[in-house]
Amino acid sequence: MKKMNTGISNRIVLVSAYVFLGGISLLTLFPFWYEIVASFSSSRAITSGEVFLWPVEFNTVAYQRLFDDGQLIMAMGNTIVVTIVGTVLNVIMTIMAAYPLSRKRLVGRNGLLVFITISMLFVAGLIPNFILIKSLGLMNSYWSLWLLGLISTYNMLVMKTFMEGLPEEIEESASIDGAGDWRILLQIYIPLCKPILAALSLFYAVGWWNSYFNVLLYITESTKLTVMVKLYQMVSRVDDNLLNNAGGNDAMEQILLTPEALKAAAVVIVVTPILCVYPFLQKHFVKGVLIGSVKG
Amino acid sequence: MKERLAVESRAGSHVVRSGTNRRSAWRRMVQDKHLYLMLLPVIGFYFLFKYIPVVGEIIAFKDYRFVDGIFGSPWVGFKHFQMIFQSADFWRILRNTLVLNLYSLVFGFPVPIILALLLNEVRKNWYKRIVQNMLYIPHFMSWAVLGSIVVAALSPSTGIVNLVMKKITGGETIYFMADSFWWPIAYTISGIWREAGWGTILYLAAMASIDPQLYEAAKIDGAAKLRQIWHITLPGIRGTIAILLILRMGQMMDVGLEQTLVLQNNSVLGVADVISTYVYRVGLQNMNYSYTTAIGLFQSVIGVILVLGVNRLIRLSGERGLW
Repeated sequence: MKKMNTGISNRIVLVSAYVFLGGISLLTLFPFWYEIVASFSSSRAITSGEVFLWPVEFNTVAYQRLFDDGQLIMAMGNTIVVTIVGTVLNVIMTIMAAYPLSRKRLVGRNGLLVFITISMLFVAGLIPNFILIKSLGLMNSYWSLWLLGLISTYNMLVMKTFMEGLPEEIEESASIDGAGDWRILLQIYIPLCKPILAALSLFYAVGWWNSYFNVLLYITESTKLTVMVKLYQMVSRVDDNLLNNAGGNDAMEQILLTPEALKAAAVVIVVTPILCVYPFLQKHFVKGVLIGSVKG
Repeated sequence: MKERLAVESRAGSHVVRSGTNRRSAWRRMVQDKHLYLMLLPVIGFYFLFKYIPVVGEIIAFKDYRFVDGIFGSPWVGFKHFQMIFQSADFWRILRNTLVLNLYSLVFGFPVPIILALLLNEVRKNWYKRIVQNMLYIPHFMSWAVLGSIVVAALSPSTGIVNLVMKKITGGETIYFMADSFWWPIAYTISGIWREAGWGTILYLAAMASIDPQLYEAAKIDGAAKLRQIWHITLPGIRGTIAILLILRMGQMMDVGLEQTLVLQNNSVLGVADVISTYVYRVGLQNMNYSYTTAIGLFQSVIGVILVLGVNRLIRLSGERGLW
């Protein structure tokens, strides 16, 4: 009798877990789905609340307008440049830091590690960084972004831990064969590090793609802005209008200047590349998180 | 005497060994010159972009003007710090920083644990994988994206939330993002939306390492699922929970700048203005460099104290510290 009870209660727990998780995941994704649906609907249908699960008055005007206007597309090009160059620089520098620091024989290794990890603890504020970039004359140059974000110490330490885990005999036998440090690194270690390199490149690339605050700080020329800043400006402009005339009819009119469909289409365009690489992302990211946590 | 000799000879041999060590250390450094060459740009980076800005923090004790430079500007001692503690602004942004953090902690911290407990019960692997993949997605989105979705969804005139609510209840329009009651709620929930799924990873890993025999034994004893969760799964991840909780406490002075900035607007600054956004707005846009650097410095000093304290706590609890 008791056994049957626990059987039933177990089933209830299990079923509710399945249902609840399914519901939560749908809820998590619904806002994205709604953006897609809204981007293909007419602004009229959106503002009258007819749009919910499927596009109403299906059209692609929003996309056409964004492509005709060209600003978002140009910003997309900028983001691609920032992302690709930034990631390449990141990966090169991370390897050049992680490989020597993973050699236990290196004299002064501990001192260097302390030098680097202390910088994780004492992080300079916004203003000193800003003054530095200004003094270096890097305002409005992507180098301000790339240089400030050249190495993520955390990623570098993950890479170093990974390299330490490779057997030392590999290096020894290669150096007996007369290979120099650069060749050992390029021809032996980098191929061995492929999985972790893939993960780190994705880490970095997603970071570049998504970042907007640094661009907001250091890039002021509108032709150089990235797509996330454009998106942010779309949001904040609407917002300010809403505040200046809170509640009035003017606010209503001004909001319509950036129709909901247009904003939704912008979101969809910006998000699509991330969704395209998502299958690789989540696999590598999960691995990265776990490696990082083991390291502590 | 013999003993002393022995000690001396031991000491002597030690000196000799360290002498050869030093010589061979030099030789090893020469041998490894390419490794140092690789490290050169790395050290340059850390020096120029991590350490120099920390030195730049001294403008908190000066009246900084760009033309005079960091070193040319006059010292003013603790003037800016006195101004900070006397200003109402400061106590407002400090309170907001702590309150928003507290909300995220109280409401946001348990969510990944609950999700992980549920996911752990799912035996159908394909279902588990789908749910996980869906829950992780927001983590990969920029706050510029998530923020614009949130702001659009909560808009009083065109937002889906208001439209749906009006259809169901026929009630008043709510200005979610312009209301100091609703704003922190929207802030907290959007934070949970982005990070809760992602936060399950470490808990799931901890649950995977629980000995399956414990569950077998519990089953034989007739323990129901809920009892197994309570008596086996939860204790099994207690260590992980403790560490993550303590780590979270170490970040009480930081509020996600990008999230706050994109969600914030002028009518909710009373509850939405935090230290970092204040430094950005008043410091950079109004060019109050020294004053806001002082605020930033105060924030990071408290932050460092918190992290050090947290590390001590972790060590006291018998776990390996952060360093």
